Amino acid sequence: MQLFFQDLVNGILAGGILAVVALGFSLVWGIMNIINLAHGAFIMLGAYIAWQLFTSLHVDPFLSVPVAFVIMFGFGYLLQRGLINRVVRAPVLATFLLTFGLSLLIQNLALMVWTSDTRAVTPVYSGANFDIHGVTIPWAKVATLAAALLITLVMYLWLQRSKMGRAIRATAMDVGAAQMVGVRVAHIYGVTFGIGAALAGAAGALLSLSYSLNPSMGEPFLIRGFVVCVLGGLGSVEGALIGGLAYGIVASFASNIDFTLYGQHVSGTGLQDVVALLVLLAVLIVRPTGLAGRATA
Amino acid sequence: MLRTFRLFLIASFVAATFGVPATPAGAAGDTILFGSSVSLTGSLAKEGKLTQEGYDFWKDYINQHGGLKVGGKSYKVDIKYYDDESKPASAQQLAERLIDQDHVNFILGPYGSGTAFTVAQMVERKKMPMVEGNGAAEKIFSQGFRYTFGVLSPAKKYLQGVLDMAAKRKPRPVTVAISAASDAFSLEVQQGVVDYAQTLGFKVVYSNKYPDTTTDVSSVVSAIKATNPDIILNAGHLQDALLIHKGLKEQNVQAKIYAYSVGPDTPDFVNSLGKDANFVYGGAQWSEAVKYQGQAGFYKSAMDYANAFDAVYHHRPDYHNAESTAACLAFQYALQKAGTLDSEKVRDALQSLDIVTFYGIIKFDSRGLNVFKPMVVNQIQHGKLVTVWPEFTANGKPMYPAPPWAQR
Repeated sequence: MQLFFQDLVNGILAGGILAVVALGFSLVWGIMNIINLAHGAFIMLGAYIAWQLFTSLHVDPFLSVPVAFVIMFGFGYLLQRGLINRVVRAPVLATFLLTFGLSLLIQNLALMVWTSDTRAVTPVYSGANFDIHGVTIPWAKVATLAAALLITLVMYLWLQRSKMGRAIRATAMDVGAAQMVGVRVAHIYGVTFGIGAALAGAAGALLSLSYSLNPSMGEPFLIRGFVVCVLGGLGSVEGALIGGLAYGIVASFASNIDFTLYGQHVSGTGLQDVVALLVLLAVLIVRPTGLAGRATA
Repeated sequence: MLRTFRLFLIASFVAATFGVPATPAGAAGDTILFGSSVSLTGSLAKEGKLTQEGYDFWKDYINQHGGLKVGGKSYKVDIKYYDDESKPASAQQLAERLIDQDHVNFILGPYGSGTAFTVAQMVERKKMPMVEGNGAAEKIFSQGFRYTFGVLSPAKKYLQGVLDMAAKRKPRPVTVAISAASDAFSLEVQQGVVDYAQTLGFKVVYSNKYPDTTTDVSSVVSAIKATNPDIILNAGHLQDALLIHKGLKEQNVQAKIYAYSVGPDTPDFVNSLGKDANFVYGGAQWSEAVKYQGQAGFYKSAMDYANAFDAVYHHRPDYHNAESTAACLAFQYALQKAGTLDSEKVRDALQSLDIVTFYGIIKFDSRGLNVFKPMVVNQIQHGKLVTVWPEFTANGKPMYPAPPWAQR
């Protein structure tokens, strides 16, 4: 029973950060119809921003989250206006090629700047934990989850309430109609991509606490972001959160599967991804638009 | 949605088979050209770089000392590299490219068992001798391949030294937990531990694997914690060793011995974990404390090698560096013995090689595996790597048991 609750806690803590990982990816995909294969590289940049600030200026990684957010927003906005905008209406394969190329470029530049050495952000409170009835909970991960929830909430309110947020949602629904009522679509696309990159940067800064850094660290998160985003529903904030938590919890419990089938030992931890993807498949069959997705034209 | 998903898969596939040339071509009549695909990007980029340093260090030594004499003629040596991005499929394609298009004379192995296995298949097809120093899975050597030679001790032995050492501690630890990444090398390390632990009278209370691309090991750590083991072992690579060790602290898992097959030997381990790295053990192919007396033609002792290496690369060599250099040495002495560049004769010379170097014994069994060299066990003490096992070569005593996390 203790292990049950420990796995539940582990799953929720892992899922919160996956929600932020998926959120930016999901917005860019849902609103601009661009599957950004450079999202993993953006996450890596965010993590290195936190590492650089921590190492050079002793800035706490949680304080680096807004810094990474702002820097990556500027980076994303300029990238979109200068480069990505050229393929917004192009076939999906063109956007794949461009963003994949960008991902390679960014990773190799990072390799030149930071080398392939594995780095870590280890503040004094790293590893500190507390105990509730035998369930051990690390402080840093609780704070990470809190930050992730806060980011998700702010994004949700911003998209729902602000003028810019409404313009973004309008553009996602109907570009032509949005243009007619005076929305500057090019600017909206720039902001959306910028927000996507900013969220990746924030996720990277948060990940720097629990994960170790190298220039290719973003790749597994790109894949998980993709799954979470499809699981939760495209382009929606609540979808990314629900999808992230669902993925985290399922993967955590999957690790306890342990049985013998026809004399073959089948162990759970090796099956984490298999089970998570099976759940994705099941959800897509039952609810093709994702857990929190709405049917769209 | 389905269409997009399919395209995503295609794109991933394209990404997986994409190879980037790392150095320009350069072969000439007086040069022996070696070819190697190493992981310069991807999950094994760090280890790949250490491999390349080990090779380059040997190349520069040979070229600065009048070249390599083969059959009365002096040759310069050169190495052509490609980046396999830590992907076995890319490594195999690049090996083919090295042999068919770059016309290299011989192949030096890539980093890692996964890549070494696919490259071994290719060199077998092309009848091209390869010596590799970084793929320890016996899977590579149980296929009847004739052209692949490995200078390392096999994977199964990686953590057996830790168990030998543990058996001599007082109070004697009783229970063992081992987690493993789901790649060929790590699973063999795990099997070696499970089999050997029982012969030494240890009780294996946890043995499980996790995906080798994992980003979160907290559930593995929770399961280990639930079994309350005396010895916690992990068969994996640097990235997961760091994740697991951080996870053990986060969940306050207290054991007497913590040991990792790969990780503690690279300086990144200490740099990343700080004080938490203390008391951790690692299985190692080599350390600069080993006391072998090598033959003429290269640095004879581990210490000489380490000092010269440090002067060039500004860090102490770890065992990845040393085993990579050792792979070159196998070629060096085999070529001198064969007296020709003929690949078949060089293969035979490798098969019958029996030498001692700064790295230890290099001698291959009929499968091409160097089963004659023992592993060493290192422990991180006060942020420094100390060789603690086997006793005859140790330069320190094991600090046992590990104190509570707050006192490390």
